[in-house]
Amino acid sequence: MVKRKVGALEKVDADLPNLQYKIRRDPPSYADDFGNQYRVYESFRELFLQNPAQSDESGLVSFRDQIDFISHVADCYPKVTAEFPNDLIKIISQHHAELEPELREKIVGSLVLLRNKDIIDSSLLLGTLFPILVSTPSKSLRALLFTKILSDLRSSNAKTTNHRLNRDVQKELYNLLTSDRSSSKGIWAVKITRELWKRQIWTDSRAVEIMKEASLGDNEKVITSGVRFFLGGDKEREEAAEESSDEEDTIDMRSLRHQAGINKKTRKKEKDLKKAAATVKRKERKKNVPHPLNFSALHLLHDPQGFAEILFSKHLQNSKSKLNLEQKLLVLNLVSRLVGLHKLTITSLYSYFTKYLTRRQPSVTSFLACLAQSTHNLVPPEDLEPLVRKISDEFVTEAVAAEVCAAGLNAIREICVRQPLAMNETLLQDLVMYRKSKDKGVMMAAKGLLSLYREVGAEMLKKRDRGKDAAMGLRSGEQKAQRFGEEEAGGIEGLELLEKWKAEERRKKRVEQGLPPDAATDEEVDEEDDKDWDVESDSDSDDSGGWINVESDGEDIEISDSDDDERPTKKAKVDGTPSAGNGEQRESTQEKAAVEAQRISTLATTRILTPADLAKLNELRMAQGINNLLPANKRRKAAEIARHADDAVTSEQIESAAALAKKTSKAEKIAMAKGDRDEKHHSTTAIRKSKKEAEGKSTTNKEKARKKNFLMTLGKAKSKGKRSLVDTRKALRGHIDRQKKGGRRGNR
Amino acid sequence: MAKSAKHKKEKKKDFQKPKLKVGKAKPKAANFTDTSFKAKSIVLVQQSILAAAPSATSQFSHHLSMLSHKSDTQVKESLAYLTTALSTKPADAPLPQPITLILSKVQPLVHSASHGVRQQLLKLLQTLPPAELAGHTDQLLLWTRAGMTHLSTDIRSTSLDILEWLLLAAGDDVVSCAGGWFKTLKTFLGLLGWQARVDTDSHWTSNRAVSSKPSDAKAQGRTLMALAALLRAGLAPPKDDGKDLGPVNNFPLWRTDAHMARGGFAHLNLFGPPRDEESEMYGDRGDRQRIFYERFQSSITAGLGMAKKEGGEVGRAAAAVRRAMSEGMADYGD
Repeated sequence: MVKRKVGALEKVDADLPNLQYKIRRDPPSYADDFGNQYRVYESFRELFLQNPAQSDESGLVSFRDQIDFISHVADCYPKVTAEFPNDLIKIISQHHAELEPELREKIVGSLVLLRNKDIIDSSLLLGTLFPILVSTPSKSLRALLFTKILSDLRSSNAKTTNHRLNRDVQKELYNLLTSDRSSSKGIWAVKITRELWKRQIWTDSRAVEIMKEASLGDNEKVITSGVRFFLGGDKEREEAAEESSDEEDTIDMRSLRHQAGINKKTRKKEKDLKKAAATVKRKERKKNVPHPLNFSALHLLHDPQGFAEILFSKHLQNSKSKLNLEQKLLVLNLVSRLVGLHKLTITSLYSYFTKYLTRRQPSVTSFLACLAQSTHNLVPPEDLEPLVRKISDEFVTEAVAAEVCAAGLNAIREICVRQPLAMNETLLQDLVMYRKSKDKGVMMAAKGLLSLYREVGAEMLKKRDRGKDAAMGLRSGEQKAQRFGEEEAGGIEGLELLEKWKAEERRKKRVEQGLPPDAATDEEVDEEDDKDWDVESDSDSDDSGGWINVESDGEDIEISDSDDDERPTKKAKVDGTPSAGNGEQRESTQEKAAVEAQRISTLATTRILTPADLAKLNELRMAQGINNLLPANKRRKAAEIARHADDAVTSEQIESAAALAKKTSKAEKIAMAKGDRDEKHHSTTAIRKSKKEAEGKSTTNKEKARKKNFLMTLGKAKSKGKRSLVDTRKALRGHIDRQKKGGRRGNR
Repeated sequence: MAKSAKHKKEKKKDFQKPKLKVGKAKPKAANFTDTSFKAKSIVLVQQSILAAAPSATSQFSHHLSMLSHKSDTQVKESLAYLTTALSTKPADAPLPQPITLILSKVQPLVHSASHGVRQQLLKLLQTLPPAELAGHTDQLLLWTRAGMTHLSTDIRSTSLDILEWLLLAAGDDVVSCAGGWFKTLKTFLGLLGWQARVDTDSHWTSNRAVSSKPSDAKAQGRTLMALAALLRAGLAPPKDDGKDLGPVNNFPLWRTDAHMARGGFAHLNLFGPPRDEESEMYGDRGDRQRIFYERFQSSITAGLGMAKKEGGEVGRAAAAVRRAMSEGMADYGD
C-alpha cells in the first residue's frame, strides 16, 4: 500500500483562520473541509433560530466565528453557499432587535463583506440595511448601519455614477419621507442625502426633491434638518471639496525617494514608493481636469414658487405650526432666500414681517436680514414702504440706543439696495440727517444710505446732499432713477476690451503678412479658432486635454455667415483705429452708448467665445482693474457687486455698523495686532529637533551618548580600566569588524 | 560592597546601640508584640458550625450553574458532582431539576476544548434515565452533529461517542426527529468523505477523500461503527412486531399503534419555519427507507466497497455497516 500523504490540517489541531488561509490558496482541495464547516454553521444556525434571544456565550461565539469564516471564503464555493446571504439577511431583518450586539455587528459586517466580494448586489444590501436603520432602537447599530450604508453608496459610485442604484435609493428615501410625514424616521433620509450631497455623490435634482419633501414634513426635526440643508448644504460641500484638495500636497515625493535611497530596501517599501508615485500622478491629473460644475440646491429646485408658498403657509402663517422661534427663523430665512434668489412673489410675506419688526422682538436682526433678503426689484414698492416706515419708526429714533439705530439704518439700506423705490423723499431726507450723529455706527450707516441714493435716486435727496457726480449726472440726464420693473440691459463685462484686443491682433498679423490691415478672410479666423478651443495646449505641451477640443472639427464656428465679410470693416468704421480709442471717449455719450450696443451685438451674439477667449477676457479685465485705481468709494461699490447674488444676508451684516462704534479694549487690540503668529521664540536647533520629533524620528546614537546620565557611564569607565589585554583587544577588534560590516545588524 | 553612601548609612544604623537614660522607659524592640489585650470570646470568621448545610437540590442547581464557569477544572468538578448525584439517586425518584434545564446547560460542553470535561460530560449523559430523554433529543442532536464536523479531531471523536450513546438511549427518537435522519446521514458522508457523490457538483473524481479524511484507520473505523449503529436504529424492523398482534385483547381497536402518529402533531410543524427535504421529520420506517434508497444508498455502497478493501479494523467496521444496511433494506421495494 502506498504511504498516503498527510494533509496539513491533520498534522496540527487547526483553527478556522488557518483553514481560511488554506482555502484561499487552493479552494478545490479543501472543499470537503469547507463542507464540514458549513454543516457546523447550519447546525448552529438551527440552534440559534430556536432561541434567537439567547445569551449563551460559547454557542454564540462559535456561531459568530463560523459566520465570519464562511463569509470570508464564500466566493470560493458559490454553489454550497448560495443560501448563505439569504440566511444572514433573514436573521438580521427578523431578529435585529433581540440579537446579541456583537453577533449583530458581525452579521452586518459579513453582509458588507459579501457585497464587497460581489456575491450580493448593492440594492439587496441597502434594501436590507435601510429598513433596519430606520426601525432599530439600538443607537450603536444605527451608527454602524449609517456608516456602512454611506460607504457602500460611495464605493458603488466611486468609478462611475451608478445611476440605477442611486435612483432606487433615492426613491426609497423619498417614500420614507412621504409615507409618514409626522414620524421622525425621515431624519435618516435627510442625513444620508446630506452626507452624499456633501461628498458630491448626489448632485442632481432628485436629491433636492428629497430635501424639499423633508422641509415640507410635519416633524420638527425633519423640517429643520431639511431647511438647514438648503441654507448650508452647498457651503458644506464647498468646504469639503476644499479640504480634500488641501490634502493633495501631503506626499513629498522627493523626501520619499531620498529615504528609499537610505533606508533598508525591502519589497514592501518599494511597493509603498510606487503607490505614492501613482497617487501623486493621479492627483496631478486630477488637477488638470476641469472643475465639475455643481449647481446649488436652491437652483436645482423644480418649482421654487410653489415650494416657497407651501413653506410659508404651512410653517409660518399656520397658527397651528409647532415650530419654535428659532426653527421659524430658519424657515423664514429659507423662504426669503428663495424669494430673493428666484425673484418670487409672495405678497403676504411682507405683511407677515410687520408683526415682528419691533424693538422687543428677540433676534430681530435676523428678521431684518430676512426682510432684506426677500426684497428684489420686482416687489411692489407699496408692499415695502410701510415696512420701511415701521423700521424707521421703531428703530431709527433719538430715543433708542445707538446700536439699535445703526441696525435699523443698515436694514433700511439693505432693503433699498434691492428695491430703491421702497423709499419716499421725506423719509430719506430725514434718515440722511443721521449722518451728523455722534455715534460712529449710526453715522456710517446713514452715510451708507446717502451714498446709495446718490447713485440710484439722487433726485430724492436735497440738492446739497447729492454730491458732485450725482448732480452732474442728473443735469446731463445720464443718471436716471429706474422705474418699477425696469431691467438694465446686460452684457459681458470687459467684452469690449476683448474685442479691441482681437482687432489689434488681427491687424498685427495682417501687417506681418503684408496685407492691408483691415478686411479679414474666413480661413484666418478659422485657424485661429481651431487652436483657441484648447487653452491647455499653450501652457503644458506634454499631454492631456485631449477631450476638450472634441467640438472643434475645423468647420466655421461663426454662426451668422451673412455678415462675415462686412463685419470687420463695419467695426473698423465705428471703432476707428485702436490708437484713436482714447479720443473717442470725449465724444458725446449718446454715440458712445450706441457703440456699446453695437459691440455687444456683434461679438457676443455672433460668435461663440472659445475657452481661450474667456481666459484672455479674464486677463484683460484683471489688467484693467489694476490700471485704473478706483477711488475709495467706488472700490467699495465694486466689493458690493462682488458679493454674489446667491449669498445670503445675515444678521451679522445688519449688526456690523454697530460694531464700528464699539471701542476695543487694549488687550483685544494687542491680540489683533499679534494675529495668529507664534509668540514664543525658538532656536533653529530647537525647531529642527521638534520637527524631527513630530516626524516620528528617533535621536542619533551620538545624541544618545551625549545625553546619557553621567552616573551610568562611571561604572563602564571603571571596568574598562580593569580589563585584561586580551579583553581590550577583543573589544577593539569587534569595533573594527562592526565598522566594516556597517553596524550590528549590517547595513544591507 | 555597599551600593552607595545612603545604604552604608542605613546599614550602620542597625548596629548602633540605643542610648538608655535613667528615669525613662526602655525603648521597645522592633519586633515587640503587644499582648495586653483581653478578649471575652474568640470568633472564627471562616467557619460556621450552626449554619445548616445546603440541601442536595440547591447544591445540584448550584453546580448546574457552575457549568458555565470559565475554568475547565471547575466545570469538570461540577460535572462529576452532578454525575454522582444522578447515579446515587434512587431509581424511582424524580430528577432534582427538569431534564430540559439539565440538557440546555450541559449540551454546549460538547464543544469544550478540554478532553476531561468532555469525558465527564459523556459519563453524566450516560447516567441520565433514557425514559426522560424522549422529546428532548433534537437539540442535543444538533450540538452533536456540529461537534462531529468540528475542526478538532478530539471533539469529533467525543461527539461520535455521544451520538452512539444517544442511539442506544433514544434511537427511535433520534432518527425520527426533524432533520435527524437526513442531516445526520449527510454529516456521516461528509465525515467519511463520500459526500462528493451525493451532491455531484464537482467533476473531481479522485478517491483522496476516502484515504485522507479521518486521520487514521482507527478513527474511520469508529465513524463506520457509529454509522452502522445509526443505520440499525433507523432501518431495522421494529422488534416487537409479532408480540403485540393480539386483536382479541382489545377487540374494537385494530392495530391502533400502527395508525397512531408518533410524537403527537409535531410532524405537522404548525408553528416552526417551513421545512425542506433535509430538515423534514421521517417518523416512519418506510419514509426513512425511501430517503435512504433515493439519496444515500448508492454512495454508501460505493464507499463501503472502497473501505472494505482497506481491510483491518476499517474493513470489519465496513462489513458491519453493510450488514446493517442489507438487513434494514431487505424488505424495501416489496
